[in-house]
Amino acid sequence: MTPADIALQLLASRRSLSCENAETKEQTNEVEGGCGVIGMASSVQIAGRHMLQSLEQMRNRGNGKGGGIAAVGLVPEEFGVSAEVLENNYLLTVAYLQNQSRSQIEASHIHPTFEIDHIKELDSVKDFREIPGIEVAPPQVVCYFVRVKSELVEKFRQEHKLPSPSPYNSLEDEIVYQNSYQLNQTYYATTGEKHAFVLSHGKNILVLKMVGYGEDVVRYYKLENIHAHVWIGHHRYPTKGKMWHPGGAHPFVGLNEALVHNGDFANYSSICTYLEQQNIKPLFHTDTEVAALLFDLHHRMYGYPLEYVIESFAPTTELDFSLLPPEKQKIYRLLQTSHIHGSPDGPWFFLIAQSDTHGTTKKYRLLGITDTSMLRPQVFALQKGKATIGLAASEKQAIDAALTSLSEVDDRFWPRADAYWNARGGSYTDGGAFQFTIEKDEKGESSLVCTNKFSEPIDIVKAASPYFKEDLQENLQEDLKKDTSKEFIFSWEGEAEEIFQRAVKILKDSDQETIQSFLHALKNKSLENRVQTLKVLTLLLDRYYSLANLRRSRFLCLLDEILVSIIQNIRENPCQQYVCLPDSGEYPQPQNEQQTLVVDGERYDIEGDKSLARKIIEATQKFRRFLILNIHGHRFIGNGFGPDSKGIQIDVYGSAGDYLASGIDGAEINLHGDGQDQLGQIMKSGKLVVYGDVGQAFMYGAKGGNVFIRDNAAGRPLINAVGKPRVVINGTCLDYLAESFMAGDPLQEGGFVILNGIGHNSQGKIYELETCYAGGNLFSLASGGAIYARDPHKKLIPVQLNGGVFTELTDPDWDLIRPYLEENERLFGISLDYLLTVDGEKRSPQEVYRKIQPSKTKALQAEEAWVATGNKH
Amino acid sequence: MSNQLKDKTTEELIVEKHLAALTKGFQSWPTLEHGKMPALGDARWTADLIYSTWVQAQTGSVPKNGLEYKVGNSGGGFDLLDFKFADKAKASTAKPADTSISLNKRSFGKRCDIPLPFYGAGMSYGSISQQVMLSRAKVAKKWGTFTCSGEGGYPDELIPYKDHVITQVATGLFGIREEVIRYAPIVEFKYAQGAKPGLGGHLLGDKSSIAVSKIRESVPWTSLFSPFPFHSVYSIEDHKKHIDWVKTINPEALISVKVSTPNDVDMVAVGSYYAGANIIHLDGSYGGTGAAPQIAKKNIAMPIELAIPKVHKHLVKEGIREEVVLIASGGIRTAHDIAKAIALGADGCVLGTSELVALGCTRCSNCERGRGCPFGLTTTDAQLSQLIQPDRAAEKLDNLYRSIQEQLQEILRDLGLSSIKELRGRVDLLLYKRENQKEKTEGEKN
Repeated sequence: MTPADIALQLLASRRSLSCENAETKEQTNEVEGGCGVIGMASSVQIAGRHMLQSLEQMRNRGNGKGGGIAAVGLVPEEFGVSAEVLENNYLLTVAYLQNQSRSQIEASHIHPTFEIDHIKELDSVKDFREIPGIEVAPPQVVCYFVRVKSELVEKFRQEHKLPSPSPYNSLEDEIVYQNSYQLNQTYYATTGEKHAFVLSHGKNILVLKMVGYGEDVVRYYKLENIHAHVWIGHHRYPTKGKMWHPGGAHPFVGLNEALVHNGDFANYSSICTYLEQQNIKPLFHTDTEVAALLFDLHHRMYGYPLEYVIESFAPTTELDFSLLPPEKQKIYRLLQTSHIHGSPDGPWFFLIAQSDTHGTTKKYRLLGITDTSMLRPQVFALQKGKATIGLAASEKQAIDAALTSLSEVDDRFWPRADAYWNARGGSYTDGGAFQFTIEKDEKGESSLVCTNKFSEPIDIVKAASPYFKEDLQENLQEDLKKDTSKEFIFSWEGEAEEIFQRAVKILKDSDQETIQSFLHALKNKSLENRVQTLKVLTLLLDRYYSLANLRRSRFLCLLDEILVSIIQNIRENPCQQYVCLPDSGEYPQPQNEQQTLVVDGERYDIEGDKSLARKIIEATQKFRRFLILNIHGHRFIGNGFGPDSKGIQIDVYGSAGDYLASGIDGAEINLHGDGQDQLGQIMKSGKLVVYGDVGQAFMYGAKGGNVFIRDNAAGRPLINAVGKPRVVINGTCLDYLAESFMAGDPLQEGGFVILNGIGHNSQGKIYELETCYAGGNLFSLASGGAIYARDPHKKLIPVQLNGGVFTELTDPDWDLIRPYLEENERLFGISLDYLLTVDGEKRSPQEVYRKIQPSKTKALQAEEAWVATGNKH
Repeated sequence: MSNQLKDKTTEELIVEKHLAALTKGFQSWPTLEHGKMPALGDARWTADLIYSTWVQAQTGSVPKNGLEYKVGNSGGGFDLLDFKFADKAKASTAKPADTSISLNKRSFGKRCDIPLPFYGAGMSYGSISQQVMLSRAKVAKKWGTFTCSGEGGYPDELIPYKDHVITQVATGLFGIREEVIRYAPIVEFKYAQGAKPGLGGHLLGDKSSIAVSKIRESVPWTSLFSPFPFHSVYSIEDHKKHIDWVKTINPEALISVKVSTPNDVDMVAVGSYYAGANIIHLDGSYGGTGAAPQIAKKNIAMPIELAIPKVHKHLVKEGIREEVVLIASGGIRTAHDIAKAIALGADGCVLGTSELVALGCTRCSNCERGRGCPFGLTTTDAQLSQLIQPDRAAEKLDNLYRSIQEQLQEILRDLGLSSIKELRGRVDLLLYKRENQKEKTEGEKN
């Protein structure tokens, strides 16, 4: 028998599993929508408590009706077993909802099947009511470290006519799987009263879930000090049923993997049918369960490599497909033909924690996959120091929260990741999936490798050390607190930009001592001249530059600390220029029109009546300038000012949340960091500058405004925008840029997007991306506006356009966009000269930029034109 | 026009005919000398229903000449439902029944009662003319109820009526600025339209005139698409965020969520409630203008008379029925339809087409063309739209509203109820006519 035959035979063996499930007949799946997800994988085992902050900050993505976590790569001592048992035994984790059922279940479903090497009753908080918000008593959890009785394996082999010898592991895996299925069915799915269910049953993988929020699980089961290589956490937002049950919460398991999910798919019943054909019957009525079952089917049973599993989930289509190498096209075509009916259709983002027991060496893995259309938010991040950690989450702020939490107790970590990025779903570039794989070498040292769908590594290339030399490290915290600086010769004369340029020149090749001295000097200078120091510090945060001897991400963390200290100082000693918003009581009276109100975001809610956004609206009664910091996903900043908010200027530091600058009509907002989703929705006028990336559906339905993005935009930027938005994006976009764009004629006061297609390497140096736009949909269905794409090598092809055409860049076009590129240079230091230089040679704008405009523009009839001009005057 | 009269142009004829109708009433229309109507009704909106709506708009009460003003002839839906008025003896004549409903049942937020169990549907500037919008706003103000902006911008002329105009936020976000969200006592999120669920919105280039494209800030004479769905809302948690967004701009606003009727509409409703909605607005498939594609109107989504009880029962089961307002729309034509929808479990209804019929619509289905509407309703053509005079049109709607209220009071009286709120969910008072009418409806197909 070939492995494929064995797989089929194993699937056939499930036919005997009864499928009498009263509920399946009458229930459809539970509607669930979004959800908050976070996953982290680290080369060193990290404690569960580092999930708390992230999950707490994403509570608004769940509703407290389902939370869960999974941990992979555990510590044997923490479970009272030997390393060998942890690695080789199945960790069967059972949730008992009715304590008295335990002995019965053990007698019927555990003792007959397994040799039990160890039993651990998971510790929990004595009274669940001690944790506010938990309404339903969580199940009692028992971990059994088990092996399948060998005589059962042989019996199973014979019963199902499998060859001898058969791969022992496959049989054992399947027996575990089927045993759990039967347990779940008998004691959870079929009975009116729910007694118990299997949380997880893979090797070295633990899943816990309950009715509550994700972090409640960590607290209730006292996982704060449990360590693991890989963690995933989840808040659920189910909408059906008055009574929620823990079995419906995420993660769901196949065998060796736990899967959490943000989104929902439309073809749940089609996938159920697909699974049924393989004798797989879901029991928990949620689309997440079927996704986990699919993964198990393709990966464990069919033995597909991860790349093929990912392809079967998120098929590569359209232009991306045609850009794949022919051999990949061939195999992908086969995968799509065979599995399209089992391919989740709709918005989804999966995070999968996997204990990979396939090969000779055990691997622990975190895998994130986005749907082909990238309809759910997703951010990946990597930090590489003495330990390497990879993260993926619904929001960047959740990643930062985890890193901050880690850095507070473990000096191998620091609060900012080296790189943050989004996956491009179903693409030929990264495949819309990234995996962080942890593997042990011969010496027992664990290392983490990050790869995309095609197993191409993602690395922090040639980056400087993120750590100060030991002696400096010790002094750093202490020194930063001291007011006396070491001798450091640096001139603070001139404008901030000049000072910044001078600083960058010095920092470029300086040793770590000089860098530290510079930071001290900067901090001391702030006592003397806040305005100037803040300007210089902001430039250092905003711009790319070279640092030979210290990792950029670490340097930025130190700048963050200085910023916080400056604000602390303002709080104590307000001045003409800055005053802090007190925690309570009266607003300060502005001393002058220019005075900036400093707002500490941490003191306000993320949304709602007591939100930061509402506080700022209130404060605009008195102040026009704001500096906001200490934020983590605070939403709607700059919303609600109403028409004509010209004169309001807001500087935002940190991880802002969704909808920043949405609807502004005149105000100016500078975001010194990455933006989340829905930035600038329905923006009318004003200015938005983002010193970083922006997320999904950026400027959806915008009417106008001048917007500058230092790096990339995610999916669907400028969709359905009208009027006269004018946008510069220096990087690229995932896909669907300017779909249904209706922004008039740019030469007649309409709108446009300039797409520069450049990036910055870890040395702060600009480079040209392979193409300025890799997506298969550019300017689709657009009826107005234009895209000016920097595409000197003519990489963009007509097939990417659906309704647009390439035209020559005319002089009026260049006159129009040039000032925007000049402003872009002023803001980001991306010089016009560089943009016009191709392969080392300066070119004319016409050779560098291409204009894309709508193919069909109906000329106005004489009468219409008359009415049009009549309306204008 | 079938008979071209003498040397007059078609347009002159239309104008002349309208002027006559405006003074004599629309019911006299088919008798005017300038040719027959291009169309007069269909099985759902029968000629009788159209005539009787015209009579109500003219006189403020139902026709007394034997016209069928309660039901159409579709062979399904509300046309096969009737009330069991068996126990007329119980009927009280003491005082007219209360027809008011509340649009905010939550324990927080402002009170919002309307005197009639219905309000005006969202029809955008572009799909209808500003004159029609104004007429609807005027009558909404007079009655202390609401009309809805639709998705096509918010003409400044509506601002004086803003306390009675629901701002609709739909997937194209056309004309949505912060100020129009601020004006609104109620913000309606249109996720889908019952007439064309899953298809988004579509204003054909012909109707996207200079004025329309100016307010939408789009390119004139190009077709305008509202995508399906919101690009910022792909899940229930996004929806909650969406509501939080509107509440940041206008914390006072009540939130209405307009959805079509897919199979899991009951769960959509519960999800919307938990996300903070005050009103769940179910839009069934019988409604929509003539601009919606027939294939969508006839084949997608659940009929409204099935969706209402499904959602109502589910909300009851979830224990949240008394905290959320359930509004039904999509093919609610008459006072009797409204009463039936309420008996099936809705709190109230939304009327769209009925109002257009009251202003002269004959259901000729030329709504998608720029100069297609012979009656100046579904057009923004500078000339054609002059056919509607807002003050006069508001009077017609006022008459219709009065007539509907009287009929509702009559129905309630005959059922022995003192308030429309008591009728909600009283399926036991309804009668399914299929058995009795088998011969009559057989062979009729819609």
